[in-house]
Order: sequence, then structure tokens, then C-alpha cells
Amino acid sequence: MRTEDSMRYRLLSTLLITAALSGHPAVAEETPGSPRPTSPIPAYGAAPQTVNQTTQEYDPWMGFNRKIFWFNDQVDNYVLAPVATGWHTVAPQPMQNGIANFFSNLRFPVNLFNDLLQCKPVDGAKAVGRFTVNTVLGFGGFLDPASELGLKPHDEDFGQTLGVWGVPPGPYLVLPVLGASSVRDAPALAVDSAAAITPFFIDGWILVGARVVDVINTRAQFLKAVEDAKAASLDYYTFVRNAYLQRREALIQDRAEHVAPEGVPSYENEELYTVP
Amino acid sequence: MRTRNSTPCHERRAQALAVACALLIVGSIAPVAAEQSPREVVQSTSDQVLAVLAEKDLSKEARRDKVRTIVLRSVDFETLSRLVLARNWTRFSPAQQQEFMQEFQDHLAATYGRRLDDYRNEKVAIVGDRQEPNGDWTVRSKILRGGGSNDVEVDYRMRKSNGEWKVIDFIIEEISLVANFRSQFQDIVASGGPEKLLQLLKEKTAAGQEFKS
Repeated sequence: MRTEDSMRYRLLSTLLITAALSGHPAVAEETPGSPRPTSPIPAYGAAPQTVNQTTQEYDPWMGFNRKIFWFNDQVDNYVLAPVATGWHTVAPQPMQNGIANFFSNLRFPVNLFNDLLQCKPVDGAKAVGRFTVNTVLGFGGFLDPASELGLKPHDEDFGQTLGVWGVPPGPYLVLPVLGASSVRDAPALAVDSAAAITPFFIDGWILVGARVVDVINTRAQFLKAVEDAKAASLDYYTFVRNAYLQRREALIQDRAEHVAPEGVPSYENEELYTVP
Repeated sequence: MRTRNSTPCHERRAQALAVACALLIVGSIAPVAAEQSPREVVQSTSDQVLAVLAEKDLSKEARRDKVRTIVLRSVDFETLSRLVLARNWTRFSPAQQQEFMQEFQDHLAATYGRRLDDYRNEKVAIVGDRQEPNGDWTVRSKILRGGGSNDVEVDYRMRKSNGEWKVIDFIIEEISLVANFRSQFQDIVASGGPEKLLQLLKEKTAAGQEFKS
């Protein structure tokens, strides 16, 4: 959806960066989750020092990340959230859902691209089916009749693809405006932008406008969720970091219910559920 | 009990199923009073909660209190608290542990209780359950809000305590509450000790109370 010329270039350079960083003898394995000593109790020093994906996050740039996080929160508080709240008040919910569906439908090339890279031809075929059904029967994607036919939404992105290929998330990274990410997922955004097919005849300003509508409409769907998260957390930064990393891991493992209806894959997470 | 083409993976599952069935039969022969399965616990708890939410003439406060009581009956809050604090649990004195459990419970009740006021006749569907490697069960449910990505997935991690299956973790949209709070509390306890965490919890709940009305 963004300008493509620079994308191609960025794609190359970011791939190199990802390769370099992910090939690095896995940063996430030995270093403790935060610069501060998390465990001052020597009694447990004997326990295996495996870093748990869901409980201890690798965040070596926390100082920097917190600054960006604060900045993003200000932007959200003063610009995005108020605009989204206005939109949420004005626009009827079906309209908001329709717009969300519309943009979700346009993600189809990205989903297909990544389904194929992850060797999931069936999911790829479903993505094609969804796109066809929703575009034709769903008034250009504003409705989602495909879900009723059993073709549930299943978003993939290149960060997930890298995860499926075995690339660890690496250090947690907060991107300006874009928010929570990781050294694996951030460059992958550029790959997805390149994979998003944008018809050449659509004017650039329309794309920008569409992007703005998409962002505001998406934010409007999460007004209460963000409010809740802020109320529930003692440290909002850590809350978001943990939630992001857990969610990404679940997406990579396709653990979500609509993806694995039988719920077969389990949380192989002995440590989390062992009472010390 | 379906079994599929015999790939090794499915064979293992079939074996596991067979063992599970055998255990079930043995279990049913044993003269144990009708014991609720993890799934039944979740089902009956959500039925009770929805029944309370359907009562229109309750005040917000009364409704929250009722729901809290019902939910807590099927939660093993001590295990949940221990899992949240993990190895830091032993840094808390017994009195502090009790205080933590109380404060943490109040905090959760205050933050999640607020959402009860927005109840719009959503229904709950239990969509599956499975046994975990360590003997726990996970019951998967969905809060139905119009289908597709609008639905909210909530999984309950269950463990048997004193013969009853109780919830020890809530996994909302694949995000474990225990893991999330553990992560937040780790840094706080590491830098400020148990006292700091207890103090922050109290402040947060107090702020929430003001916010509420």
C-alpha cells in the first residue's frame, strides 16, 4: 500500500538485516530478559536458564523502546484515539465492520503469498476462495459471506512466515507509530508491503486516504480493548510487550481456534504452569 | 472417537485416546459421585454468569458482586497467584502472600468487572477441550459477538484441586493472563520487592474505584 519503488530497495536491505540478525547465535537464548537482574535468588540459579517465550522477553533495548512507546502513546492519546472515538460515535457499527472487512479482503495477496511460503497450499486455496466469495457475493469485500461458508479469516504475514521457518523473534522492538514489533517482524512488514498488489491506475493520494481510513477504523475497533489494557496493567509497556510476543507465537503456531478447530496443539509450556 | 489415516502422529493420538477411554471407563466404574468434567465446570459457570447478566433489575454493583462470587467458586486463585508470582512467591511472607491474593483479586475484579456493564446479550460457546501434557485440561470457548474475528476466544486452563476442576489461567485471544502478569510483576518485585508490588496494586485498584463511579 505504500510507495513501491523504495519498497523494493528496502526489501533487499531488510532481508539482509534479518538474515544477519537472525543468524546471530541466538541472542534470545542466554541473555536474561531485561537489563536488570530479574532473579536475585541464587537458590533457583540451578534451574535451567531457558528463556521462556511467554514469560520472559528479550528486550535489550528497553530504554530506547520505552521512549518510542511513550511517544506512540502520546500520538495515540492526542491524535489517533480521539479521531477514532469520533469515528466510532459517528459511524454505525455495521459500517465500521464493512470497512474492516473491505481492507481485510484486500490483504488477500499477502495471505496467499505467505501461505505458499509456509507450504500451506490448502490455506492458500482458502484465501483465494475467501477473496473470490467476498468480492463477488460480499459487495466488493464489505461483507464476509465466506466466513459463513466455513472459509474463516486467517491472516498471515511475512513475520509469521519467518517464524514458521524457525527464525526467533530476536530483540523486542517498538517502532515509531507502528508500535510493538521485533527484529524479525519489523523488516517483514516491508516484505508484506511489497507483496500487497496495488493496481497501477489507482492514484497515490487515494491510497494514502485509504490507509488513513483503515488505520482510524481499525483503531476504533480497539477503543475499549486499549482502555481495558491500561486499566488492567501495572506496567502498560510490559503488558503490551508480553501480549505482543505471546500473540505472535500463537499466530506462528496457528493455535487460534478458527485455525485449529480441534484445538490439538497445546501450550508446550511446562514452566509456566509449574507451581514453584 | 475418530481416528484418521495411520500416520505415526495420528497413531499416537489414537493410543492416547484409547488410554483416555480406558481411564474413563475405570473412572466411571469407581463409585465416585457425579464429578464435573473440566468442560462441565466451564459450562455451568458460564451458564450461571449469563443468568445473572440476564437479570435486568440488578444494580451494577450487585451484578458485579454476584458474578465475582460465581467465577471465584471455579477458580483456584491460590494456584493462579503462585503461578503469576512464580519463583517470587517465596519472597513473600505468608501474610504478604495472603495480602497479594486479596489485592490481586480485587484488581482483577475491578478491571474486568467494568466490562460486565457493557453486556449486550452475547452468548458463550464451548468449542473444544484437550488434556495438556502435565495433566491439566484446557477448555476452549468463544464469546459470540457476531461471528468471524468479532468473536473473542477465551481458553480456560484447568487443574484438579481437592477433587474439583478449577481454573488456573485465562487465555484470552491466545494471551495467557498468568504469563502476562508474571512478566509485569517480575520486574516490579525484582526492583522494589514484594512491598512495591503490593503498594502498586493497591494504588491501581484505588484509582480504578474512583474511575468506576
